[in-house]
Amino acid sequence: MDRRQFVAGSAATAAALAAAPVGAQEVYPSRPVTFINPFPPGGAADVVARPLAAVLEPIVKQPIVIETKAGAAGQVGAQFAAAAKPDGYTLLMHIVSISGFAEVDRLYGRPVKFTNDDFIPIARFIADPMVLVVNDQQPFKTLKEFTDAAKAKPNDLIFSSSGLHGALHLPMALFLKSAALDLKHLPTNGGGPALTALLGNNSQALCSSIAAANVHLRSGKVRALACFGGQRSPALPDVPTLKELGYDIEFYLWVGLFAPKGTPDNVIATMRQASKQAAANDKFVQAMKNLGQDVAYLDQPEFKTFWDADAKRVQDAVRAIGKV
Amino acid sequence: MDVFDNLLLGFSVAFRPDVLAYGFLGCLVGTLVGMLPGIGPLAGISILLPVTFGLDATKAIVMLAGIYYGSQYGGSTTSILMRIPGEAASVMTCIDGYAMARKGRAGAALAIAAVGSFIAGTFGVILLMLVAPPLATFALRFGPPEYTALLVLGLVFLAYMSATSLVRTMIMACTGLLLGCIGIDVMTGHFRYAFDIKELGDGIGIVPVAVGLFGLGEILSTPSKTVTDKVKPPRLRELMPSRQEWQQSALPIARGSVLGFLVGIVPGSAHIIASFLSYAVEKRVSKTPEEFGKGAVAGVAGPESANNAASTGAFVPMLALGLPTGPVTAVLMAALLIHGVPPGPQLVNDHPQVFWGFIASMYVGNLMLLALNLPLVGLFVRVLQIPYAYLYPLIIMFCIVGVYLVNNSIVDVWIMLIMGVVGYLLRKLDFDPAPLVLGLVIAPIFELSLRQSLVMSSGNWTIFFSRPIAALLFAICGVLLVLSVLSWLRRKDWREKLAEAEAGEK
Repeated sequence: MDRRQFVAGSAATAAALAAAPVGAQEVYPSRPVTFINPFPPGGAADVVARPLAAVLEPIVKQPIVIETKAGAAGQVGAQFAAAAKPDGYTLLMHIVSISGFAEVDRLYGRPVKFTNDDFIPIARFIADPMVLVVNDQQPFKTLKEFTDAAKAKPNDLIFSSSGLHGALHLPMALFLKSAALDLKHLPTNGGGPALTALLGNNSQALCSSIAAANVHLRSGKVRALACFGGQRSPALPDVPTLKELGYDIEFYLWVGLFAPKGTPDNVIATMRQASKQAAANDKFVQAMKNLGQDVAYLDQPEFKTFWDADAKRVQDAVRAIGKV
Repeated sequence: MDVFDNLLLGFSVAFRPDVLAYGFLGCLVGTLVGMLPGIGPLAGISILLPVTFGLDATKAIVMLAGIYYGSQYGGSTTSILMRIPGEAASVMTCIDGYAMARKGRAGAALAIAAVGSFIAGTFGVILLMLVAPPLATFALRFGPPEYTALLVLGLVFLAYMSATSLVRTMIMACTGLLLGCIGIDVMTGHFRYAFDIKELGDGIGIVPVAVGLFGLGEILSTPSKTVTDKVKPPRLRELMPSRQEWQQSALPIARGSVLGFLVGIVPGSAHIIASFLSYAVEKRVSKTPEEFGKGAVAGVAGPESANNAASTGAFVPMLALGLPTGPVTAVLMAALLIHGVPPGPQLVNDHPQVFWGFIASMYVGNLMLLALNLPLVGLFVRVLQIPYAYLYPLIIMFCIVGVYLVNNSIVDVWIMLIMGVVGYLLRKLDFDPAPLVLGLVIAPIFELSLRQSLVMSSGNWTIFFSRPIAALLFAICGVLLVLSVLSWLRRKDWREKLAEAEAGEK
């Protein structure tokens, strides 16, 4: 073996070694993919992520691990995902409130940990319009009666929420600002406790997702006054939208899948394709139906447009709440 | 008759071999996650949730619920043997359970915990079946003011908690309350004492603190102890409780069952509060309160029964109203929803198979757990015969892994390690860590409900006395305080007499 052969052989070996990872990257995913769930188990992102993972696994032929990183109303998980290695093996399931954290941090003069630009949207899976409900001990049958009563006695009625700047607080803030009403705010530590407070008449009004309120709407324990959707919801055909009633407000509790900024395009493409298939899967559709949701799938371009508009609404809401 | 017919339907479902098998699997997994420090029922259930997607709703809920109440059985094991709370609600068992183990009564403590859990669990199921709907409606009246009152009652009881002096107890409790203030202010969104660590936003977790203070602190202090302090290995003959121990545990089990169930149905309450209230009540009514902390049987029987009854009680609002009382029931609810069985007032009528099958499976499940846990007592006790040099590194490893898994958070592991050192120092200085843990548990919920109440009343404090349940609870607090002042006065009286008598003898 002369020197030239040796050099050539070494170069070939080096080239092969260098090429190997590239080849491996092409078959993404080649190991389990982690979905970060930034809320406690059983929360809005979790109940979508788990059925989704079950139908995604046979499509991507790798296990999907759901890792709960709850804390600070979803901020801890989002921050973790934003800082994760952008290789497509750490993705984030998040909800509408993802757009609010940066604005809240700015409002309080804290360093901004991440913005929406730190994430690449992949797909939106559900988008449940919010619904304004009151409990059955209140006399209000229409939104007008409610706003009249609230105007007559400012700071008398109480609304509960899942927490300050949470997904159930933001739409109420938009509505209160638009209708120029003053209600007292009773923050709780989750969607369940917020609903519990309403049912026990410790609060009188609540903005809830239709899915969460559905059981109680049917039993008559709570009454829907207005819906935050663009059109009337098929689940509540008799409830008018805020737009019909003259308020230019839309708000959805949506759940989407995100990748950290810098994730390679081929990885995003694979996940987009897989998400599209999963969203159309009968098992997933049925699981969402059982939760009282219709799959409202949006592929990346449409999701991006929707998200940009939605982020504006969320930031408006945060500013409307102001510094407490 | 109606209930009987329905129960018959339920048992016909619960005794189907496949349902029985899934119930057993759930109980087994529950016992295991209950024993492992850190990994609680929440982690166990959410990991196994996707597995149930292929099953029908009945099997799924039977298995997942089995994990939940099974973990309340398992949690006592490590508490008694190693002073490590397997899950948060077992903190109280660490105190007297471990003390019993050091006296060679580990077997008895384990057996009493298992039997107490069984009785409380069965009692809870019976109540759940008979009175769930009316009770659930009543529980809804527990708003923020009532909850505040309940926690004040808890704080009053805190004074009875400790085996050490009142001053020491108060120092520990206040430290716990202060630590509980760390985190986001829920009302204004400001971070408090978080030092820019986002993980501290939700406050300091109970599990890392409890595992650190109790378990790690104990392990760290072992090498400096003299050899005579070694655990007495129990003889096989002495595994079962004596007749006297059974007698001492009968009433605490009964009281713990009732108390635990009542606390469990209140939306938002934690099992740990049930077990700690039970411990305090037992100490209050005991004729020999000085034995608490030194291996009192009632200190094991009461809290262990209470946390099991509470886990059953927590099903009341979930099944009857469709409201989750805590994170675990939230996951169970999500599981039911995903299977197309929405919990709530219509559940009994729409899905009688699921509802009654579930109830019946809990009777069966509690029996299975008893059968699973009692024979294992002998095996578990052997763990104590493993030399420390091998046992302790293993335990530390389990603690670290378990605590990390709760939130997948490395910050939690650091908290546990720091608390381990603190726990060591507290042991050296003869402070009891239990009040600290309870302060930590109470502080955030007390603050939240107090401030919620004041939001509701626009800052008017009379809200606590104008609502009947809250007023009643505050009245009980008042009576307790007056009673303790009286007994203090009387004791002083008695002491003076003793002093006079002694003076006379001279």
